Amino acid sequence: MITPQAQEDRVRQILSDLTNVPPADIRAGDRLREDLGLDSVGSMELLSMLAEEFDIDVEMEEAAAVADVAGLMALARRHLG
Amino acid sequence: MIAAFCESLDKFARANIDARRIDAAHKIEPSILHGLAELGVFGASIPEEYGGSELGLEGVCAVVTALARHDRSVATTVGLHLGLGTRGLVAFGSDALKERWLPDIASGKKLAAFATTEAGAGSDLAAIRTRGMEEDGALVVNGEKIYVTNGGLADVYTITASTPGLGGARRGHSLLLLERDDVGVKRGAEEDKLGLRGSSTNTMYFDDARIPLDRVIGVAGEGMTHLAHVLAWGRTAMAAGCIGSATAALEATVAHVAHRQQFGKTLDAFEVVQDQVSEMAATRFAMQAVVHAAATGPRLLSASTTAKILCSEGSWDITDMAIQLHGGSGYIEETGIALILRDARVTRIFEGANDVLRTHLGLLEATVPAERARLAGRSPLGAVADALHDTLTELRTDAARRFGIKLGRQQRILHRLGELALLRDSCDAVVELASAPDAPSNAMDLASRWLHVARLRSLAPISEFADASSPVLPFSGVAHA
Repeated sequence: MITPQAQEDRVRQILSDLTNVPPADIRAGDRLREDLGLDSVGSMELLSMLAEEFDIDVEMEEAAAVADVAGLMALARRHLG
Repeated sequence: MIAAFCESLDKFARANIDARRIDAAHKIEPSILHGLAELGVFGASIPEEYGGSELGLEGVCAVVTALARHDRSVATTVGLHLGLGTRGLVAFGSDALKERWLPDIASGKKLAAFATTEAGAGSDLAAIRTRGMEEDGALVVNGEKIYVTNGGLADVYTITASTPGLGGARRGHSLLLLERDDVGVKRGAEEDKLGLRGSSTNTMYFDDARIPLDRVIGVAGEGMTHLAHVLAWGRTAMAAGCIGSATAALEATVAHVAHRQQFGKTLDAFEVVQDQVSEMAATRFAMQAVVHAAATGPRLLSASTTAKILCSEGSWDITDMAIQLHGGSGYIEETGIALILRDARVTRIFEGANDVLRTHLGLLEATVPAERARLAGRSPLGAVADALHDTLTELRTDAARRFGIKLGRQQRILHRLGELALLRDSCDAVVELASAPDAPSNAMDLASRWLHVARLRSLAPISEFADASSPVLPFSGVAHA
């Protein structure tokens, strides 16, 4: 089973791949739209990548509610335990 | 009031605007811009308290349509000023910024531009590299913006920039206002373009441009949210310009087929020609309907995207058919249709490439489908629009069940979903406009024809909706014969 730290590292790496922001420079409080520049298409692509990476199913409504990195981490934790 | 104003613009344009001369000169004569300023065009989107006429988005659309009927370069110059160039300042700017700038902007003494595209950031706004850094009580801006419409003419620029640390946000983007004469602001040479040759387009360079902190438009760090609204205004105004261009092409075509003789009769006596002109007219009606829906309805963000795509493609299709029906004369510049076609091409690219926007619409439909009232009881044509909506809902639900959130990575499906959403919204808008009390007498016929077009267009994305079997070829071989 993936450790919480490894989980977080993977989330950061996916975010970094999509935004070109170095993983170490991504903070929990960063907002997907304003701070990382992801519009709704970018955010959905991010969540899709996350779902593929961890092989999890996420409902559209749950995904649409994610607004920042902390929310993203929480979503990953909920689905991976 | 708007109609009377547009009539005065039309009169001015007939007397003073020569589209082919502007195209050949690659610039708009200053006397034209001065004349338009005297008529009050540049204040159409500006609040009355700052000297404008505050016509709202609907009025701005009417102005841009009226000008585009005569010349798209003039309409683009004015439309950019009224939309993207000033909307951020009007909607989000501080009172101090508005008081300082809007009176001169409204009078036309100062022209506005908007700059967001960069070499590495077009539709991908996350890639914006222009930065504004707070330094000793000022904001120091560095970066380059390309394809800046009005860039060479403007006095005031609204730009997007990454502004880390500003306003307490660790990261964030902001809209900034820069002046042409700010130290560190430079303009590149004019671009040589396929069309819109009278409209200024160039690169803007910001090299340690130092501006006061109060030049942030709206909330520091909230620029991306502000930008969404500004782009929606800009796209709607641009879509309105497409109506003007398409009207010019349609009018020229109707006149041409009425007198051009082939096989002993005028072209308009041929059934195929009647069919083609009917489709042109219905397409133009659909364009008017979606712009009206965007400018007056409650869902500006998605409706402006629909309007932008449908109108840019509609004006291209109408003008292409106009050239076809003009025969060889349509291909000759002297006729004027070739210029309309060249001018129309970029509208499918700028202010958001249609391919990206269509995918965007599909994603919106997949994630937050808008509430929609049934139209069957309100209009005889409503049932057709309802049927398209029902099919779309069925496909969307099925795709969500199959892919879940991973639908976000299924670009081809999202693109098809976007096309269907666009067609559904166009049908809704057309039914609404045709049912309005002041609708023209042929409105129901035009609407009926558009619903037919939309239904036919919907067949392809419906039949191949979830079909991933059409091959995507490896790029290494596609360019070789």
